[in-house]
Amino acid sequence: MKLRRREAGLGWGILALYLCYTAVFWGYPFVWMLILALSRWRFVGKPSFVGLQNILRIFVDSMFWRVFWNTMNFLLYFVPMVFVAALLFALALNKMKYFKTFVTLSFLVSYVSSGVAYSIVFQRIFSEIGPLNRFLYNTFGFTIPWFSDPQLALFSIALMVTWKFIGYYGLILYSGLQAIPKTIFEAAQLDGASRWTTFWRITFPLMNPAVVTVLILSVNLSFGIFTEPYMITGGGPMNRTLTFLLYMYTTAFQRINPSYATALAIVTALINFSLVLIVRKVVEREVSFE
Amino acid sequence: MKRFKTVLFHTIMLFLAFLWLYPYLWLFVSSFKPSAEIFTKVVPSRFTLDHYRFIFTMAEKMKRPFLRAFMNSLFITTTVTFSVLLTSTIVAYALAKLRFRGRGAVFNFVLFQMLFPGFMFIIPLFVLIRNMGLYNTYAAMIVPFLMSSWGLFMLTQSYRSIPQDYIEAAKIDGASTFWIIFRVMVPLSKNTISIVSLFTFIGVWDNFLWPLMVVKDYSKMPLSVLLATFNHEYAAYVGPLLAGSVIQTIPMVLIFLVFRKQFLQGIALSLK
Repeated sequence: MKLRRREAGLGWGILALYLCYTAVFWGYPFVWMLILALSRWRFVGKPSFVGLQNILRIFVDSMFWRVFWNTMNFLLYFVPMVFVAALLFALALNKMKYFKTFVTLSFLVSYVSSGVAYSIVFQRIFSEIGPLNRFLYNTFGFTIPWFSDPQLALFSIALMVTWKFIGYYGLILYSGLQAIPKTIFEAAQLDGASRWTTFWRITFPLMNPAVVTVLILSVNLSFGIFTEPYMITGGGPMNRTLTFLLYMYTTAFQRINPSYATALAIVTALINFSLVLIVRKVVEREVSFE
Repeated sequence: MKRFKTVLFHTIMLFLAFLWLYPYLWLFVSSFKPSAEIFTKVVPSRFTLDHYRFIFTMAEKMKRPFLRAFMNSLFITTTVTFSVLLTSTIVAYALAKLRFRGRGAVFNFVLFQMLFPGFMFIIPLFVLIRNMGLYNTYAAMIVPFLMSSWGLFMLTQSYRSIPQDYIEAAKIDGASTFWIIFRVMVPLSKNTISIVSLFTFIGVWDNFLWPLMVVKDYSKMPLSVLLATFNHEYAAYVGPLLAGSVIQTIPMVLIFLVFRKQFLQGIALSLK
């Protein structure tokens, strides 16, 4: 009895360390988040309560809708592109016999590139006089205004982010592929199933947990894009690369309106969260290898 | 025919691997090219260290201390990584191995915390840092990240798989709690610890938005922010910018190569 008391004392003693820290650096901001979202405040004085005014204002803010559609547009470019490419990468990796480690590491090393550094690099590679446009000009006789065309700029950023994440997502899918027992494929082969049927009827459905993971990661990532547009386009041309985080940042620190920016953060998180729920609802299936 | 197919397939994969490495290769080679040849020649007429020299000496005179920024980054990143590891290894012990009422509730709270995306808190957290008088200090970049609910979660999961018998045996030998944590639990959780250090290191080293918000002095900026401001103000200095990008990238790639095995295991873990 005494021993158990001592264990509880020790346990709470250790947890107190975590709970106190969390109360200050998570609890306090959490409360401030709610206060800020419901009031008007410009970094000085006391916040004045305005109720739901900030939240309501968001829905008539044309810039918010611009950002919303930009993000949807980005999702539409990025998610299918990165998913299909990562899936192909995973399947190819499964077939490889030689140089497997080298190829895996080559694709993964882009994942550990620094956001600032790779933005600087891609800005130059994609620039008017950069190596990519020079190559295009020399072989096909035209150049592409990667970052200066309003519609293309967002696509170019999606392309960069795809470059960065294919290896990582591909490996998640690959480990999902590896988790499928080999006997299932042998059974399918005995039944005379074609490779196409085997993939769509057996492999892909059994990879479901990995597929869901990748889709959720890529959706969450799309809502957190900041460094690339900040570094390369500054949100332009014509606000077409303005993302939620960039809009939040400029609202808080350039237009000095932190309370509205906080309301934006909450609404963004809600949109993000509901999209993840939809993905789970539509894609997620119970998988067992029985 | 089958042989030909295999060779073709592997050639294509190798080509793609080089294509994926291309931005890195271009960055690395270009940082050694003379300024005039960065965009004009694939193979430069000579290799030069001018851009690196510029970064470390000239930039100082322009009040853009890159060397110091590199040290700042190193200091902030190692402090945070070390602290996350230390606190996670200790607190996870209470969550995984000590039996007492309320433990489950706290663990659920850790999971609950992980549901919220970080961007929801950055502005209120900024307010907190300002109220604490930490605006424009190193502490602003360190203190909010000293503990990580993700690190805590990972280590708790790892500790749970360690048999209770090991702990009982150590206790019979008269081991103290800290001895058990650092001599029994930590060595048995090496993989998880490598994964947590790797991701924490990369996350902090590459963090951009937060230091951009809380630091104003060039002398206190981490490399990522200094490089970004330099890019905005002196976009024409392509060579030095690329040299700076190389310096910013190297530690991340190095630590990735060191921990690549654990990294690959970490990806498999994230599925469960």
